[in-house]
Amino acid sequence: MANQDFVGIPSQVDTRALNRGASDFQRLRRGLLFNYLILGAGAILMIVPFIWMISTSFKPQAETVSFPPRLFPINPTISNYIDVFDRANMGRLYWNTTFISVIKTVFNIYTSALLGYIFGKFVFRGRDVIFYILLSTWIIPFEVYLIPLYLMTVQVGLANTYTALIVPEIFTIYAMFMFRQFMYTIPTELIDAARIDGAGEWYIFHRIIIPLSKAALFTLIAFYFMWNWNDFLWPLVVIADQDKYVITVGLATFVGEYWSQYGVIMAGASLAIIPILALFIAVQRFIIEGVVLTGLKG
Amino acid sequence: MIQTIAQKFTGRRSTLRAAEHRFIVIALVPTIIFYAIVKFYPIFFSFFISMHEWSLFGNVSPYVGFDNYALLAKDSLFYKVMWNTMYRTFAGTFLGAFCSLIVALILNPIKRGSILLRLIYFLPVMTSVIASATIWKWMLQTRFGLLNQLLSYVGIQPVAWLQSTTWAMPSIIVMGIWGGIGFTVIIYLAGLKGIPKDYYEAAEIDGASSIQLALKITLPLLKPVVSFVLITGVIGGFSGGFQAIYMMTGGGPLDSTRVLALHIYDYAFQRMFMGQASSMSFVLFAIVLILTLVQFKLQRVDWEL
Repeated sequence: MANQDFVGIPSQVDTRALNRGASDFQRLRRGLLFNYLILGAGAILMIVPFIWMISTSFKPQAETVSFPPRLFPINPTISNYIDVFDRANMGRLYWNTTFISVIKTVFNIYTSALLGYIFGKFVFRGRDVIFYILLSTWIIPFEVYLIPLYLMTVQVGLANTYTALIVPEIFTIYAMFMFRQFMYTIPTELIDAARIDGAGEWYIFHRIIIPLSKAALFTLIAFYFMWNWNDFLWPLVVIADQDKYVITVGLATFVGEYWSQYGVIMAGASLAIIPILALFIAVQRFIIEGVVLTGLKG
Repeated sequence: MIQTIAQKFTGRRSTLRAAEHRFIVIALVPTIIFYAIVKFYPIFFSFFISMHEWSLFGNVSPYVGFDNYALLAKDSLFYKVMWNTMYRTFAGTFLGAFCSLIVALILNPIKRGSILLRLIYFLPVMTSVIASATIWKWMLQTRFGLLNQLLSYVGIQPVAWLQSTTWAMPSIIVMGIWGGIGFTVIIYLAGLKGIPKDYYEAAEIDGASSIQLALKITLPLLKPVVSFVLITGVIGGFSGGFQAIYMMTGGGPLDSTRVLALHIYDYAFQRMFMGQASSMSFVLFAIVLILTLVQFKLQRVDWEL
């Protein structure tokens, strides 16, 4: 999880789009065309690798190595995809990765929301000291943990198990920090009112705080699911058994074995990428709407 | 209403406080135990390992004091690794920050299609590095790769991108920029949002051109964001690069792309020199710690923001 350094969470996304319509025409005249041209060219550079991946994945082997390069295969085939499912045990990889990502994400988000709530909304002795001590672990690179955590895993007999993949990452500092920030947007009077009405602390957390945190919640769920799905180094080190591989490790191994069968390799890469992209694009609008709504409310 | 207020000021209040207390304890105690075991103990353990000649094989791990660190200081490969790490970190961070800044600046005034464009630039961020490295390795393939095929149209001879000590690292850096640009753009856009529009309107009335607006208003006011991007990029860069390099070159050719993260993995899990690898991870830790302190000093990061 080395890549979770920073995400612009909520309130960062464009609320301005809503009140900008009037000046749009003027701006366009002032040369937005130029902006579109540059951004368009950049966008093509950004998606060429994906297009080439999909294009190659539908080509028979002979076409992948032919000149000149063709965007559309002459004899499109799906045999590459069938091959990947057979040889890389793709169904198994999907199941393993989904299973682990879902469990990790649930733990990550639940514990972070709970702790964010506690650090953000309660006043008790030692609160800030504890918070900053936990926060300090944010800066430590995972490479520092790699060796000791692995040896500890072996010592307690958890090497090559899913427990070893999940347990060290149950708590996560980044989401906790984000939730704590988000708690400042929730009025404390609301919580006090619920207490006066006799609501228990857990009831307040589950029925008031969590529903009110939806915007942060969905954004963080999306990002954590993505990070957990794409996690590589720790599964590579801990899991030895091919049946227990997650998709990134499975793909890396597969690429190592079948390099030069480019069609099959690209089919494998597509299968590793597509579910997470589809999911993200599906919830993307929802996330942005949630962000815009909370932005307006706040 | 009166009843609830009455309850608040009578006996119920103390039971509520006890409930809160219990709630906090139930949540915090497991958290603290977890952090102690999984986040703090391993750091000391790692330091302990770095003081030993530690291997998974064989049960004897003799104490060697600071020998592992002394070995690093004399190891020419380690210097090469540090050089590669810095090359990748600084070139990648500065080029990436520059490209993202350009994209953010020209994306900022756009309304129509802005969400779609942002999504496209963000696609590689969502993709696992393992998968994108696989695609790039294929596109950079010497004989059949797309890049060389396209270059042949303009008469450029095929380049062995990933097999050349000159080109392998730049290739990896470019792929890294491609993979991270969407992320940085979002940070910049958030920063750009914070610049008051009045400034621009006032300057426009005075007849400033759009280039003047960018140079005289946007850039100076965006400076804190730019330095945030650069410093976090450099900090992340020192421990980064593992997945891309593991997939694309494995550290080669001739160790020209061997960076610290890969070197630590290689020593610990391929060559099984865990003590030596731990000492390297502590060097990494020290670098990151110093850079983070520099960041705090420079930016006085306000966590309460």
